[in-house]
Amino acid sequence: MALTDDQKRGWHPVASSTDLAPRHVFHGRLWGQELACWRADDGHVNVWVNRCLHRGVRLTIGRNLGHELLCQYHGWRYANRSAGCTYIPAHPADAPARTVCSHVYPSLERHGLVWVALDGDAGNAVIADIPAGGTLLRQMSVAVAHDTVRRALEAGGAAGCSPFHFRDEARALTLFLQPVDAGVTVIRGILDAGADADIARLRALDHEFAMLRDRLEREHPDVPQPIAAEFRPVSEELAKVPERRRRGSTRRMRVERKWCVAPDVMAFRLVPIDGPLAAFQPGAHVDVHLPNGLVRQYSITNGPDDTTGLVIGVKRETDGRGGSAALHDTVQEGDVLALSEPRNNFPLRRDQLHTRLIAGGIGLTPLLSMARTLRLSGVSFELHVFARSREGLPFADELKALGGAVHVHTGLDAEASSAAFARILADQGEKEELYVCGPPAMLDTVRGTAAGAGWQDDQIHFEYFANERKLDRSGSFTVALARSAVTVEVPSGRSIVEVLREHDIDIPTSCEKGACGTCRVDVIEGEIDHQDVWLSDAEKAANRCMMACVSRGRGRIVLDL
Amino acid sequence: MNDPVILHQWHVVGIDEELKAGAVKATRLLDRRLGLKRDAGGALSAECDDGHPLPLLARYGFLWTTLGTPERPLFDIREADEPDRVNVVTGSVAVRTSAPRCIENFLDMGHFPFVHTGLLGEEPHTEVKEYDVRIDEEKDEVIATDCRFYQPRAAAASAGGADIEYIYRVPHPYCAVLYKSCPFDRGRFDVIAMFAQPMSEEHTFAHTLMSVVDDTSSTTDIRHFQLSIFGQDKPILENQLPRRLPLDPRAETPIRADRSSIFYRRWLRAKNVAYGTLAQAG
Amino acid sequence: MITLHDYELSGNCYKIRLMLGFLGVGYTTRHVDFYPGLEHRSEAFRAINPLAQLPVLDHDGFVIRDAQAILTYLASTFDKGGSWGFGTSPRRDGEIAQWLAFAGELTGSIGAARLHDAFLFELDADAARRRGRELLRILDAHLWFQEREAHGWLASGENASIADIACFPYVMLSEDADLSREECPSVRRWLDRFKRIDGFRVMSGVFPTR
Repeated sequence: MALTDDQKRGWHPVASSTDLAPRHVFHGRLWGQELACWRADDGHVNVWVNRCLHRGVRLTIGRNLGHELLCQYHGWRYANRSAGCTYIPAHPADAPARTVCSHVYPSLERHGLVWVALDGDAGNAVIADIPAGGTLLRQMSVAVAHDTVRRALEAGGAAGCSPFHFRDEARALTLFLQPVDAGVTVIRGILDAGADADIARLRALDHEFAMLRDRLEREHPDVPQPIAAEFRPVSEELAKVPERRRRGSTRRMRVERKWCVAPDVMAFRLVPIDGPLAAFQPGAHVDVHLPNGLVRQYSITNGPDDTTGLVIGVKRETDGRGGSAALHDTVQEGDVLALSEPRNNFPLRRDQLHTRLIAGGIGLTPLLSMARTLRLSGVSFELHVFARSREGLPFADELKALGGAVHVHTGLDAEASSAAFARILADQGEKEELYVCGPPAMLDTVRGTAAGAGWQDDQIHFEYFANERKLDRSGSFTVALARSAVTVEVPSGRSIVEVLREHDIDIPTSCEKGACGTCRVDVIEGEIDHQDVWLSDAEKAANRCMMACVSRGRGRIVLDL
Repeated sequence: MNDPVILHQWHVVGIDEELKAGAVKATRLLDRRLGLKRDAGGALSAECDDGHPLPLLARYGFLWTTLGTPERPLFDIREADEPDRVNVVTGSVAVRTSAPRCIENFLDMGHFPFVHTGLLGEEPHTEVKEYDVRIDEEKDEVIATDCRFYQPRAAAASAGGADIEYIYRVPHPYCAVLYKSCPFDRGRFDVIAMFAQPMSEEHTFAHTLMSVVDDTSSTTDIRHFQLSIFGQDKPILENQLPRRLPLDPRAETPIRADRSSIFYRRWLRAKNVAYGTLAQAG
Repeated sequence: MITLHDYELSGNCYKIRLMLGFLGVGYTTRHVDFYPGLEHRSEAFRAINPLAQLPVLDHDGFVIRDAQAILTYLASTFDKGGSWGFGTSPRRDGEIAQWLAFAGELTGSIGAARLHDAFLFELDADAARRRGRELLRILDAHLWFQEREAHGWLASGENASIADIACFPYVMLSEDADLSREECPSVRRWLDRFKRIDGFRVMSGVFPTR
């Protein structure tokens, strides 16, 4: 039997609010569709398709981590609210494609029950209005069709307000029927406020309904065939390996709070105007579209336990082109900004025995998100923050909450900083990784010191805020696209990205300065003139990928596009 | 049952030593009931529920039959015949899922830290490193090589953690063989095989064989280890929906670590295996 | 010295491993090849337990069989003055005994259906499954009221008792007997609570909650 549209639209209770106990995953079902229901530590109720997107394992055998749900099979983690996958342990160095998102059913809590419609709109939910303050009875699951239960309730003197809602005046009861499947029905009773609701009464009513259940199951042994579970195909994009990133659309978000976190740094908390926040991972950034037309990238500072609004930190750049100034001076609380979906070019592995994080100034922002994630995941880490002075240290309160793992270094000159880096990078243990973010000069020093201390290229992860190298845009070359079967000429003074856009081939970009890694493309053959700061020296030498925004070819190159 | 590919295969139907001389044993295969018999003289025979006699042969410690006429003999595991190996029938467990789901899980390494915690894997060592998969056209097998995974306890006999090397082979739609670097003899491999008996499309009797170069572990220890492993897979497999293996790429979300599974599904699709699989995602 | 005659996939043996884990008592294991070896039916094993059943515990030469009996013995020996076993109050003692008997019923129904389903043992699985379902429903109702009136354990009192240990394995393994716990939300919450007790250990087929 297949699900009908009418069945999909109706709102039904699927659990009591107390069924969603802390750190528990409740197993529900409505019209044959299995539900994984869980309450996050922040109180939010999630009702999802009970199936991990990866291999179809029920999420109800997984673990409620408080801010994420973990699938028991391969440890995939899905975020509270957005249901977006935040981590795939088999590939700890990759950021999951942001479109890996479990299906969320609209839900809300009312009368002490959790209500769901398979294809509904939480804003327009039609839910019976009953007086508040009643006492919930224990749910009674009966293995017969809901029509059979309906007839039995009516024969027992209850009046039907709808096929799924009844009034039993004699017992001071409101009853809701949950159509679990074609042949399974749950009776959910609410005793009127003010009616006798002591334990003895609850036990007596529970016994009455248990006897009704036994009688109905005895009299109606033949139940209808179950309703087929709907399996939603994943998108074409997700069915392919590996996933390719697509340019995301923008999302309007409101500035909920703007506050000062250091003399020249403002923090902004941005909340979505409609719907939940898209999933993000530690290290991710968003493009912020500013009122003056500029687009700037800012790292997300949130930990995985805060999924209601994004917090970014913006340092005023005195010699910038006016992006940070616009945010500092023009944008106020209540203003609406357009933001890209979160993108991650600085993914955090969580499969290490220890992780060292080194931040310079405002470079703290992505590392703050990483530190919060590592702390909640129980992974050992240390965070070193370098700042000019104690007062100039951004997010000091947030750092305090991270406890003893944080080490602040202030007022060091170049020589003293280098000595500090050498100390921090010494004594490398087994299975360690290093994440660095800060001004370009600091990054260059840390990378050099780390290499000298025996750290391998693939253990060091860094994010540049800018590419300060002088770009050489002279020289023309030919670009052949292997999969699209297109060949174009890139003239002097123009980039691969710009020329391909004219041919309707859109390579996603973000900074367009060779610093962020968004426009990485795979190279099949040809010699590359790398001009970015994102790829490591080893990656540049291997010549298997390039940054299409600033790097150029010599002669003819073939790209995997 | 109208899947000629599966019909004309040899299928595992029981454990050799459990069928004593003079005994008859009932089992199920492809929705049919079968009787297996060993007469007093030791000769093997089998009969289908419609009275048809069926061939019955003993190989690798198990009994095999077919409801059709196989074009090829049963696949070969030549290591099982090496004189210094212990071949242990590690037991059989019935699982409410399709045979291809059992095989796909057998080919998967990524679940080791989460399902076989402390035995075949352990957090934080969760990475599935790049490996090679191909379809050997001549042998008509899926082969995955150069697979490596960190294991805290690589076999019943080893105590410490190490990166273990694996080679996987799928020589039959419902059988897979795993070669695992041997802790006692570098350069040699322990062999673990999964033979899935399709009792029905969604009900499988999963049989396992271990052929090991190990002079310290007893048969009981080896069985205990292997049954513990499969006992951990069972609740996962029985909570996997749909029970039949979807062959449509859009049914689930593969990642690079799943290349064995992608090739296995592709191979089944190319063969038109319908029994225990689903062609459409929705 | 304590020796446990053990089989990893046995729910009854798991009860003893759980108890020893909660008490922090060390022991050695002797693996019995229950399946496919059927070693428990061998002459040698029947000298240890003529009932040909697991588990059997040997404590310095004192040999005791039956999971519920062993739990009682271990609580009296290693948890004197504690709350795992008898002795807190006459009423609670009665409750514990009542649910220990219920655990025996779970073995005879869910445990039997599981042997049929997983290892194809020949027995009346449908009757065993029907009984198992009745028992799960009774347990769910009891636990719903225990969440309101007491502390959510089978017997009254703040802490779990050997009754919880005795009932946990076959309820946790009910899906092996094709008995879903979806209609028993109070049972599902109790299983989670039980898994969070300090010293909890898993068996093959049971996953931790943290």
